[in-house]
Amino acid sequence: MQPMRKAKAVLLETLLVAALGLALALAANALSSRGLRLNRNYFPGGERLAVANPGSNSVGVASNAAPADPLEATRQRLQQLGLQLVSSNEVVALFRDPRYEPGLVLIVDARDDKHYTAGHIPGAWQFHHYRPENFLPDLLPVSLAAQQIVVYCAGGQCEDSEFAALMLRDAGVPREKLFVYAGGITEWTNHGLPVEIGARRSGELLNPRP
Amino acid sequence: MSSAVSGPIAGRFGAADFMSVAARWVLGGLFVYMGLSKALHPVEFLKLVRQYDLLHHHLLLNVVASTLPWFEIFCGLLLLLGVAVRGASVMLVAMLIPFTVVVLLRALAIHEAGGLPFCAIKFDCGCGAGEVYVCKKLAENTLLTALSMALIFWRSHFLCLRHAVFRSVPASKPVLNDE
Repeated sequence: MQPMRKAKAVLLETLLVAALGLALALAANALSSRGLRLNRNYFPGGERLAVANPGSNSVGVASNAAPADPLEATRQRLQQLGLQLVSSNEVVALFRDPRYEPGLVLIVDARDDKHYTAGHIPGAWQFHHYRPENFLPDLLPVSLAAQQIVVYCAGGQCEDSEFAALMLRDAGVPREKLFVYAGGITEWTNHGLPVEIGARRSGELLNPRP
Repeated sequence: MSSAVSGPIAGRFGAADFMSVAARWVLGGLFVYMGLSKALHPVEFLKLVRQYDLLHHHLLLNVVASTLPWFEIFCGLLLLLGVAVRGASVMLVAMLIPFTVVVLLRALAIHEAGGLPFCAIKFDCGCGAGEVYVCKKLAENTLLTALSMALIFWRSHFLCLRHAVFRSVPASKPVLNDE
């Protein structure tokens, strides 16, 4: 009888820990300024998952048949989502386009504050889509007025540019205007192109003459 | 605090008691640290959870990513304080075994896809310590699971605020612990 009682006591204690822990965890998430919104889809159009591993020495694992060329796979995936891919050269051309200064061409950085302030394409707007309420009030009006919008993130395995573009599309920006720069800031800096540090239009530039 | 703590420690507690405390504090400290490192960066943890491709509904994904770190902190604190030790240890085992299995499955998938030596595979498993070599992570998780299991069966109440929440024998019996 004793082992049964002991097991029952442990089981009851486990259930208590589980229930109390879950309740406290939900409360902590709700109270935390960094907490997640439970009902928000942070990965719009992201039901597919092509990348299983971003590890430093490992390889990507495709969950289903995909083209061997990662760029082609990205292009196809974006096409399915109604988005277009742009190359580094095209982004440079848009960056130097006379329409860039008046805001008819927009470049949008989909990374978080830390990475954005560490260096972004000069004049790029920030849109970390995990906290849309912080960015959309300013970004949406200029996006609606723009003719072309290029969204980028870190490059490589980063998918945040796609999610940010999809969130802009869902907010009402026509999909024809939206382009994804898959190479991201990594490719941009590797080409020795200028990078702005700190806030947008801070004037602090690295590599000012590419 | 357990009533026995007030006496001379050397005379009343054995090596098993000290081992039990060490196990609780190691596990508790580790879970609080790992939980905090995830709770402070929930978006990063959310992305890592998603990469396992196990949860396909966003609500489920968000619930797991937002509660798991705090739940780990809670269980870690219980162990550090010595409250509901067995219940918290069962929960750790219930978390560690599935974590270890999914890390192993993912490592095997990478191994098959890339042909890398198994122990050379390194990735951020979402465990709170950044990128780690998979063999080291599996060994670490096995050790932590063994320690958690030991705490379920160890009877020591040394330096516990309340080792057991529910007593397993009638209160009228004169016992020092919950046996």
